[in-house]
Amino acid sequence: MVPGALTLIALEHVSKAFGTLEVLDDLSLQVDEGQIVAIVGPSGVGKTTILKLIAGIVLPDAGRMSVVGAPLAYVFQEPRLLPWRTAADNVAAPLRAQGMDRTEARAAAGRWLGRVGLEGFEHFYPAKLSGGMAQRVSIARALAVGPRVLLLDEPFGNVDVDLRASVMAILQEMIGERAVTAVHVTHDLIEALQLADRIVELALNHPPRELDLSDRKTVAMDWISKTLGGLAT
Amino acid sequence: MTASTTPPLDRLRLELRGHPASGLRRGRRAGRLYAALGAAAIVAGWQLLSLVVNPAIMASPVDTAKALGTLALDGTLSTHLLITLKRLVIGLSLGAVTGLVLGVVAGLQPRLRSFLEPLRWVGMTTPAVIIAVLAMLWFGLGDVSVIFIVAVIIVPVMFVNSVAGILSIDSRLVEMGEVYRFSRRLLLTEVYLPGIGSHVMAGLTLATGVAVRAVVLGEVLGAMDGIGYAFSRAMSYLETPELFAWVVVLLALMGALDFGVLRPLTRRTMHWREGTNK
Repeated sequence: MVPGALTLIALEHVSKAFGTLEVLDDLSLQVDEGQIVAIVGPSGVGKTTILKLIAGIVLPDAGRMSVVGAPLAYVFQEPRLLPWRTAADNVAAPLRAQGMDRTEARAAAGRWLGRVGLEGFEHFYPAKLSGGMAQRVSIARALAVGPRVLLLDEPFGNVDVDLRASVMAILQEMIGERAVTAVHVTHDLIEALQLADRIVELALNHPPRELDLSDRKTVAMDWISKTLGGLAT
Repeated sequence: MTASTTPPLDRLRLELRGHPASGLRRGRRAGRLYAALGAAAIVAGWQLLSLVVNPAIMASPVDTAKALGTLALDGTLSTHLLITLKRLVIGLSLGAVTGLVLGVVAGLQPRLRSFLEPLRWVGMTTPAVIIAVLAMLWFGLGDVSVIFIVAVIIVPVMFVNSVAGILSIDSRLVEMGEVYRFSRRLLLTEVYLPGIGSHVMAGLTLATGVAVRAVVLGEVLGAMDGIGYAFSRAMSYLETPELFAWVVVLLALMGALDFGVLRPLTRRTMHWREGTNK
């Protein structure tokens, strides 16, 4: 943790179960203002549950947590666009929730859609957008609210490979520009290494551990060789 | 990223936006042609039947058309039609709005839904003629009685569809709204109400058909004017061509409501399924 920095997100000994399925057990995590923390791990270890706890969508069964930071924005794993609203109106909706009037919100939405490469698509309904385009609308929606805390749940899952780099660059620029505090959930360590200041690894067979990022290249190479290890034999 | 660097795939999608629908329009034209042939077959069958059946119980299409012409020319048609239309619109509006409001609230509040369940059951299982008789008992003959019948019969139809609509809303969209701190009003106007559009329109279409039948029943039993009354009077005097003429008027009314109001409204409500807003 950075001395003197304000802690925006604090999870202390948090546990969460869904029915009989224990998803998180005694997890502690602190995120200071301005930090980008990536949480990596395989499916089912509770990465998305951590984001939902921070967003207030679910409550912990045990432990304490505090989140200091509004507005909060969330890029979900799937775009979660309102099918009956245009791309612009989808981006504008959270702005209207903040009190902006419809005209101003739409104008802002148009600018943000342009920034994610969707200029000209403001009037398209989600049914006419590809998965990657819809996810970019979702990213524009998150960035448009000017978040203090940004939650990213596998944000590049549906984005075309050739677009991933440019969308990643936009996110890096925005996050850097506004000193956004972000928690980024991904199963892709390379993605995490590109964005994050800290990386916490969750696994089923060991407690959460923070990776040493003093030599990111080595961390990346180790992960690649582990991932491709099966292919090499 | 700017428009000039818009990826090729996205540019292609923009270009395709103006591409004419290929087989879709041809398919629709063929559908309309077959529908017209079907309608013509009904009229032809009717004509054939009228040649072999006693004219006291079945008027021919020609005699029906003549009777229709007489009703139109002497003002009887418009008089009764407007009365029926007024009762239909008021009854349908009251019933639809009541059913929709109750359905939306019940959809969002499980305890209220359970509380209203017995009433919903009574409303849906009580035969329309019982409701009509009760209406006459409470309100006598006339507008109030008929409007009451229509409204009461419609409420459960809209209620059930509205509840189903609310329950079918993707909870992930509601979650998104909660994360972005949508107010209750914004959740209602941006998520719930637009989300139940297809259910509401299906309910309204069903309700309109039921309402037309209900208004006619109400007028046959409990009114001194309107299409139902005129139909009943024609039957009493064995004026079979006029009786059939009123049936045609009812069908035309239903057709006008369906093609002139409900289908355009459904298309307008559900246009987001098709693509752009331009």
